[in-house]
Amino acid sequence: MANAYDVIVIGGGHNGLVNAAYLARAGKKVLVLERRYVLGGAACTEEVFPGFKFSVCSYVVSLLRPEIIRDLDLPRHGLEILPLDGTFTPMPNGDHLWRVNDHGRTHREIARHSKTDAEAYDEFGKAMQAMCRFVKPILSMVPPDPATLNPKELMKLLFLGRRFQGLTSEDKYNQVQLMTMSAIDFLDQWFETDVLKATMSASGIIGTFLGVRSPGTAYVLLHHYMGEIDGAFRSWGFARGGTGAISNAIADAAREAGVEIRTQAAIARIIVKNGKAKGVVLASGDEIYADIISSSVDPRLTFVKMIEKGNLPDDFLEEINRYKFRGSSGKVNLALDALPNFKAMPGPGAHLRGAISISPSVEYMERAYDDAKYGNFSRRPYIDMVIPTLTDPSIAPPGKHILSCFVQYAPYKLRPGLNWDDQKQAFGDNVINTIAEYAPNIKDIILHKQVITPLDLEREWGLSEGNIFQGELSLEQLFFLRPVPGYAQFRTPIKNLYMCGSATHPGGGIMGGPGRLAALEILKDFKGAA
Amino acid sequence: MPDARDAVIVGGGHNGLVTAFYLAKAGYKPLVLERRAQPGGAALTEEFFPGFRSSILAHSAGPLRPDIVRDMQLDKYGLRLITPDVGVVSLSPDGRALILYNSVKQSMQEIGKFSQKDAAKYPELQTSLAKVGKVIGEALTLAPPNIDHPNRGDLWGILQTGRSIRNLGKKDMYRLLRWGPMAVADLVAEYFDTELLRATIAARGIFGTFLGPWSAGTSLVLLIRGAGDPHPAGSSYFAQGGMGAIAEAMASAATQAGAEIRSGAEVVEIKVKDNAATSVVLSTGEEISAKAIISNADPKRTLLKLVDPIHLSPDFVMKLQHYRMPGTVAKVNLALAGLPEFTALKGASDTSALSGRIHIGPEIDYLERAFDESKYGNFSKQPYLEITIPSVTDPSLAPPGKHVMSIYMQYAPYKLKGSDWDSQRVALGDTVVKTLAQYAPNLPELILTHQIITPQDLEDTYGLSGGHIFHGELALDQFFTMRPLLDWARYRTPIKNLYMCGSGTHPGAGLTGGSGANAAREILKDLKK
Repeated sequence: MANAYDVIVIGGGHNGLVNAAYLARAGKKVLVLERRYVLGGAACTEEVFPGFKFSVCSYVVSLLRPEIIRDLDLPRHGLEILPLDGTFTPMPNGDHLWRVNDHGRTHREIARHSKTDAEAYDEFGKAMQAMCRFVKPILSMVPPDPATLNPKELMKLLFLGRRFQGLTSEDKYNQVQLMTMSAIDFLDQWFETDVLKATMSASGIIGTFLGVRSPGTAYVLLHHYMGEIDGAFRSWGFARGGTGAISNAIADAAREAGVEIRTQAAIARIIVKNGKAKGVVLASGDEIYADIISSSVDPRLTFVKMIEKGNLPDDFLEEINRYKFRGSSGKVNLALDALPNFKAMPGPGAHLRGAISISPSVEYMERAYDDAKYGNFSRRPYIDMVIPTLTDPSIAPPGKHILSCFVQYAPYKLRPGLNWDDQKQAFGDNVINTIAEYAPNIKDIILHKQVITPLDLEREWGLSEGNIFQGELSLEQLFFLRPVPGYAQFRTPIKNLYMCGSATHPGGGIMGGPGRLAALEILKDFKGAA
Repeated sequence: MPDARDAVIVGGGHNGLVTAFYLAKAGYKPLVLERRAQPGGAALTEEFFPGFRSSILAHSAGPLRPDIVRDMQLDKYGLRLITPDVGVVSLSPDGRALILYNSVKQSMQEIGKFSQKDAAKYPELQTSLAKVGKVIGEALTLAPPNIDHPNRGDLWGILQTGRSIRNLGKKDMYRLLRWGPMAVADLVAEYFDTELLRATIAARGIFGTFLGPWSAGTSLVLLIRGAGDPHPAGSSYFAQGGMGAIAEAMASAATQAGAEIRSGAEVVEIKVKDNAATSVVLSTGEEISAKAIISNADPKRTLLKLVDPIHLSPDFVMKLQHYRMPGTVAKVNLALAGLPEFTALKGASDTSALSGRIHIGPEIDYLERAFDESKYGNFSKQPYLEITIPSVTDPSLAPPGKHVMSIYMQYAPYKLKGSDWDSQRVALGDTVVKTLAQYAPNLPELILTHQIITPQDLEDTYGLSGGHIFHGELALDQFFTMRPLLDWARYRTPIKNLYMCGSGTHPGAGLTGGSGANAAREILKDLKK
C-alpha cells in the first residue's frame, strides 16, 4: 500500500517550511509536523503580553537567500522587509559611534574618531564585498565530500579551486586571512578606533562560544556584509509583523503548493526498519508513514532522541555526540511605556531606529567572553538591541514600544552549583542594569519583561544547549564538516532520512539555505529511485 | 673590493648553520656572520654563574629533523643527544604527579592511576598523531606552493600531499581537516577525562604562542609538533653540554663542509641596488658583497630594519608590519645548591622522574586564566611553566651535587600595560619562584642565583624582534604558505638575491632545522641557474 505522504518534514521552523515548499512545488505530497502551537521555530512572532507582539528569538533578517524569496514569491505571500538603518554604539564616556547606510554621514562620523579609519572604512567595505562575491555561491552549493573519489565531488573541489584562483592576489590574501584570523587581529590591520573595532567584531562572535580574539571569528564578519535584501549589499531589516511574518509567508507559499502543516504535533520517534526510515510516531501515539523523512530539528534531537539505539553506526553517533552546540546567548524582550533615553544621544531620533550595540571597547567584548569561559554569564555582556516598533508600530499598542535585546555571553553550561532556573532573574536584571548605564530611564519605562535563557531555548524551542544556529559556527563545523564529516550532503546513515536544518550547510540565521539545498538533494534521490 | 662571495648568511642561529652546511655541501662557500660571540642563536649554552652552565634559551629540541642530523653527521662532530625515557612529568597542586614516558606502555600504567579509560585512549591519540603527523611531516619538508602562480613542481607537491591525505583513510583524513582549526582544549577533551592529562598535552598546542588552550587553531600547533614527535605530550630531547652543543656540532659540520663562520660580526645593513641585494655592511663599516644574501634573522628585522623598506612596495611593507610577533614567554635560569624536593614526587626511589621536562599547569582553565591576563597586558600571576633540570642527566653542567634549572614562563606579554619589563623583571622572577615553591617548598632556599630573561631581553640581547622565540606568532594565518606572508613563504623575498631561512619561514615552530634545510634547497635551485 502506498504511503499517505511522499515526505514528512520534522519541525516547522523556517528551514523545514522552505524544505516542504520546494518539495511540494516539485509535486511531492508533503506533511510538516511542528511541536509548538506556532510555526517558525526560532523565527516566530508571539503576543507574549497583551498587545505586544515580540519577535521572541530571532529579530532581524539579512541572509534570507534571494533565490528563495523569488522562487516562493514571498512578497505575494505577505513578506515585507522594512530596512533597519545603521548601528548606534553608545560609549561610557558619553560619546558614541553611529554608522548609517548613508555613506557620507558614516564617513564623517568615523572621521570624528579617526580620519585614517574613515578612509580605511571605504576600502574595507570594498574588500568585504569582493569576499562576499566569492563566498556567496558557496552558500548556495551542496558541500563537496573531499573523502570520495567521485568525479562529481572532485569537480566541485576543482570549481572552488578555480574560483579561488580567479581572485586577485589581494583578494586571496584577504580571503585566506578571513578564514583563519580572529576578528580583532583582522580588524587591527584596518582600523585604530577601539569602539569601531569592538562593534564590528561583534558580528564575528554571535552564536559562537568564541571571543573576538579567537581565530576563526573573522570569517563571520562577512555575514554582516552579505545581507542582501533586494540584492543590495549590507542591508539588514525587520519583517513587518515581526520575524514570524517570514515563517508565515513561507508557510503560506508552502500551503499554496499543497503542503499540509500540523502544529502541536510533537514527534516521539522516527520509525526505522532495517536501515530505512519509514515514518514517525507522534507523542499522541499516532503513526504516520512516508517515503522520506526530512528533519529540520538539530542532530542531537534527530539522531539521539528520535531514533532508537542500534539503528546508527557507532562512529557516526560518536561524531554526533561530539558535535558542538554550547549555546552562548540569551534574549531579553521588553515591553516599554516610552523610548529609552541614551546619555550618549539624548531624546528620540533616528539613532533608535537601527541596531543599538552595547560594545564600547574590544576589552569589554573580550572580558565578557572571559566570564563565560568559566561558566558565568557576562557581568557586562555584549547586547544588540532593536526597537522594531519605531519601524513597525503595528506590533505594539499606540505609543508603546518593544525593546528586543540579544545578549551574549550566556553559557548554557554554568559553573558547578549554578543552574539557569535560579540564575534567570539575575541574568535579566544584569542586562537591564547594563542598559541602564547607557539609558538610565530604562528601569522606569519597563511594562513587561521576558527573559529567555539558553535553557529556555532548549526546552521551548528545541535548540539543544540553546545554540541559536543548531550548532556552533566554528571552522571545524562549517561547509563539508557540517554537521559532521562525511554527512554534509543532507543525507544520513539511515536511508530515506535527511537533514534540512541550520545544523547543515550553510548554517544558521534566517537564511533558508539548508532547507532549499536539502530539498534539491531529496528530489535528486527521488529521480534516482524512479 | 674582493669579488663577490657565493652566499652570505646573516645570523648564525641553528637554521643559519643548517643552511650554510647544505650550501657548502653543494660546493658553495657561504660566509656566516654572527653578531654574538658564538653562533647558535637561541640554541645556546652559557656559564651564567661560576661553575653553572645551562641552555640559556631553548632547553629541549624540536626534535631535530633526523635527516638533518644524518646529513650533518652531528654525532661525528661531538653531539651527544640525551633522550630520557621520561618525556614529561606533570605536577598537580594536590600532590599527585603524572609521568608520561616515551614508552606508551609505561605511560598507560601511569595514566591508569588516574583513569583506566584515559589509559586505554592514550595509544589511540598517539597513533592518530603519528598517522596525521606523517602527512603534515611531508608538507613540512616541502617549500610551500605558490598559491598565486603554482608551477609544475607546486602542483605535483599539492597532488602528492593530496594523495597522502587520501591515503590516511576517511577517519584520519577527517581528523586532519577537523582538528586543524580546532581549539586544543576541545581536542584533548575528545580523548581524556583527567584534567591533569588534558592540560599536559594541551600545553604543547600553546607553548610560545599568544593563544590559550581555548583558542581555535591551537590543535594545529599540536599536530605540527606531533609531526616531529608523536608522543602526545612530547618527549624530551636534550644535548650533552646543553643546547649550545647542537650549535657547536652544526658549526663544525658546516665549517668542515666548507662554510666560513665569523662571530662578533654584526650586520647593520643589507644593501639593495636595482631591486637586488648586493652586499651586507657590518657595524665596523666593512662591506661584504655576495651573489646571495640569506637572512636567518626574523622577517621584520630583515626586511624592515636591515633592508631599507624604500626598496619594497608600500603594500608589502604594510602586510609585513601586520605580521604578528608579540612574544609571550620569559626565561628564568636558576643555579641550585641541590635538587629541589617536589611534594608530588616524595618517596621516589631515584631522580628519573626529573630527567625529562617538568610541566606546571594542572588544568585547562589554569592555562587559560594564565593566558587571559596577558591579553590585557599583564604577565600571569599563576603562570604556565615548562621546566628542565638538565644537570640530572648531564652532571657536567654544574658542580658536584649542585644543579641548574631552566624555566620557560608563559605568559609574559612583550607589551606590558602601563609598565615596562625593566621595572617588572624582579616581580617576574618572584612570581616564577613563588609558583614553583607551591610544588617544591624547599626550592627558594636552594637558589644560588637567578638569571631572568624578559621578552625585552630576548629582543635586545638575542635579536628576537618582539621577543618572539619562534620569529612570529604560530597562528593559522601565519603557517605554511602564509609564513611569513601569503606567497612569500618560499624563502625568497621581493628583493632579488635576498632570502630568508629563519624560524619566521615555514615550518618554523621549534628547534628542528626545518626552515634552514628547506631554504637551502630553494636557494640552491636559484644559485644553480
